[in-house]
Amino acid sequence: MIGESYRQKSENELVKASLEGDKQAFSEIVSRYQNMVARTVKGMLGDSVFSEDIGQDVFIRLFHSLSDFRGEAKLSTYIQKIAINLTLNEIKRRKRFFSTFSQKGNNEMFEFEVADSETEEKKEAAELVSKALMSLDPKFRVIVAMRMLQGYSTKETAEMLDLPLGTVLSRLSRAQEQMKNILRKL
Amino acid sequence: MKIPELKELILRSLDKESDPEKASAMLEEAGVTWKFSEGFHDRVLDAVFSTGDTVVRKIEFVRNLNSVFYRIALTGVAAIVLLLISIFVIQGSLSFDSFLGLGDSYDESIVYLLTGN
Repeated sequence: MIGESYRQKSENELVKASLEGDKQAFSEIVSRYQNMVARTVKGMLGDSVFSEDIGQDVFIRLFHSLSDFRGEAKLSTYIQKIAINLTLNEIKRRKRFFSTFSQKGNNEMFEFEVADSETEEKKEAAELVSKALMSLDPKFRVIVAMRMLQGYSTKETAEMLDLPLGTVLSRLSRAQEQMKNILRKL
Repeated sequence: MKIPELKELILRSLDKESDPEKASAMLEEAGVTWKFSEGFHDRVLDAVFSTGDTVVRKIEFVRNLNSVFYRIALTGVAAIVLLLISIFVIQGSLSFDSFLGLGDSYDESIVYLLTGN
């Protein structure tokens, strides 16, 4: 089967094929990384249609910048960087919009719809984490999302965000403090 | 997973010493994960490849416009050069008057031409 052969291809092979105009290859890239992008974007922006749009933009941006991908880092890291940048831009845009046109608080800028989960318990869990994340300062939120939702180490997070390791460590400890206070209220 | 346990796990996952991969897997198991809605994959491909076609069309248009511009510009330059040569041959110089076709005219003849006296 055609799909099966693409599933076995390496990242670099898929990138090369996509650059040559192979739609199936790019389709395989989207399939492989869409859940990872969803965790980052929805984890940081909340579960809403806007997050879906940002997710779509991530792959459009990826497609147009594939020729810049040198293969020195993993493709997942490259995609993750695009997702983080677009999400942070959206957070900034919303902050600007709400500070200009609305009196809403920081965490009201985001939506807490949670997609139907298997059980009520799981739905509650996702909702709790979503609310806690949205209440965090965005500079802490990105670090928490990378670690908690994607399982990246402190070193990987630092590389991904182009931040010194010390900065990530100090933000992580401050994020933990902030999270403690947030969870106490939830 | 009960809410107090979940809160504990969230805080533990942020410990510097914790294993982030393990904590993230446990949270995922507890239901803390997000996915895009059904049809996301197809929407992305539609958007990517329709945008791709638009970009290709735009690039082709700009390329065609450029080649047309160069042709017009080259023809224009060639016409100007020919005009200069013909002025030089006819008038014998390339002065400002000769550009205006006044190279061999006297002031009196211009006044006569304009006023009729």
